[in-house]
Amino acid sequence: MINQEENYIPIAALNHYAYCPHRCGRMFCMGDFIDNQYTIEGTSLHERVHTVTQENREYTWQVRAIWLKSEKYGLIGKSDLIESEKGEFYPVEYKRGKKDDWNNDALQVCGQALCLEEMTGKKITTGYVYYAHSHQRQEVKIDKNLREKAIAIISAIQTMIATEKIPPPVYHPGCKGCSLYSHCLPQAIKKVKEYRE
Amino acid sequence: MGTIYITQEYNSFIGKSDERLTVKANKKTLLDIPLIKIDGLVIMGQATMSPDIIKELLDRKIPLSFVTATGKYRGCLQPELSKNILIRKAQWLAAGETEISIHLVKGFVRGKLKNYRHLLMRRRREYPELNLDAGINKLEQAILPIDLTNKIDSLRGLEGAGSAAYFGCFNQLIQNPNFKFKSRVRRPPTDPVNSLLSLGYSLLRHDVQSAVNIVGFDPYLGYLHYQRYGRPSLALDLMEEFRPLIVDAMVLNAINKNLLTPNEFNSEPISNAVSLTKEGLKIFLRLYEQKKQSKFKHPVLKRQCTYQEAFEIQARLMGKYLMQETDKYPPLILK
Ligand code: SF4
Repeated sequence: MINQEENYIPIAALNHYAYCPHRCGRMFCMGDFIDNQYTIEGTSLHERVHTVTQENREYTWQVRAIWLKSEKYGLIGKSDLIESEKGEFYPVEYKRGKKDDWNNDALQVCGQALCLEEMTGKKITTGYVYYAHSHQRQEVKIDKNLREKAIAIISAIQTMIATEKIPPPVYHPGCKGCSLYSHCLPQAIKKVKEYRE
Repeated sequence: MGTIYITQEYNSFIGKSDERLTVKANKKTLLDIPLIKIDGLVIMGQATMSPDIIKELLDRKIPLSFVTATGKYRGCLQPELSKNILIRKAQWLAAGETEISIHLVKGFVRGKLKNYRHLLMRRRREYPELNLDAGINKLEQAILPIDLTNKIDSLRGLEGAGSAAYFGCFNQLIQNPNFKFKSRVRRPPTDPVNSLLSLGYSLLRHDVQSAVNIVGFDPYLGYLHYQRYGRPSLALDLMEEFRPLIVDAMVLNAINKNLLTPNEFNSEPISNAVSLTKEGLKIFLRLYEQKKQSKFKHPVLKRQCTYQEAFEIQARLMGKYLMQETDKYPPLILK
């Protein structure tokens, strides 16, 4: 589907697209990033996780911070943690904070699973999201539904990048916590329209 | 947070120690401030800079501009452009006589002239004895055809006519017998009022230029200022609407309230170029910073913001219009 290295989509883009397509476009078409408290904390958490290590805990084999890639879907990214037990592989994604309402983290895990399947030749049925704030692991079923959703988003992102057409911002509750709010001014479209000099 | 102005005339050395910016002169440390607190740097005198601090300013994208004592903007240190290629593409696609550039030029000119008009009307209310009617009428005659004018050169003409009408009234806005304004003189200004205006516009240019850079525009492609100055710059375009709101208002305030007196000005022999004394410059810079930090309600976004924030907001609104997210560019017009 895609053969040039630079055209691979970062796995994290799935998460951003599900949160807000405009945000995803700003980040991956326009290179718009901004550090706020959350992204900085998130990064330092990831820095810790992203030091390649490998360990055997009793029967679970773990490897941290390896590259994941799928030729079929044109995806690339770094995994936080891959575990293997009884010949099965499980991607584990680390997240700052609690489980959010958007359930986007599951999509990101699914993206990792798609890569891992292609890399190992094994079917991945389960993944996890680890929430640092609550020290909880949330199971993610990599089922047909989730896969279809992830694949549809991958193709939407590919189209967006190829056509350079970023979906316009749509003001929604998620805007409040969005680090790009001050760049995006999501209410401006409406306010500019209504404005009379 | 704030802009640092380096006004030391000779031998100042700007360096970096740890995460701090230091200014030294004659073996004394004049300033030692964490880089994280610095929004911008304007060098107005002579200064030597260490390679370290230049690298640090570029990395942190802290804008640095050079301004002469007589208020001429000389240039800036340009950090790497942001990756925002789509916005630059939209900016270039709109170049020339396009529907989009014509719309933007109308906005810049309308914004500036309407702000001029409001400034005059406010003065007329406060001082009914002034004879501002003719000026206001002429301004209105320049504003009225803007919407129906679709040639950029003609819009430039309206801008020129409106500005002439406004500066024709400017002397009446000065309520201090120690100061007079005849006409706008630049390069170099040869009277105190013009020298304050020039200096103010240069500081404004620094601030608007950095807003334009932050949003990711190509700073060299302007629409209104394209042919006329041979030096296209989007910052000059976006500056128009802010001139009366920020610089003219603070200059009039400084003069009318006697915050600056004729003692605060020097005049060069032969050239007659007028500039502020060191003490005067300090006063002026403080007033400018205060003005930038003062708050008002943004008429489009309908929320409180400072002028400092408004530079970036207007630049982002311009970006949104160029990317065709919004149906128009609303210049900042304050009543
Ligand atoms: S502010 Fe809202 S619309 Fe804009 S990018 Fe963020 S989430 Fe999307």
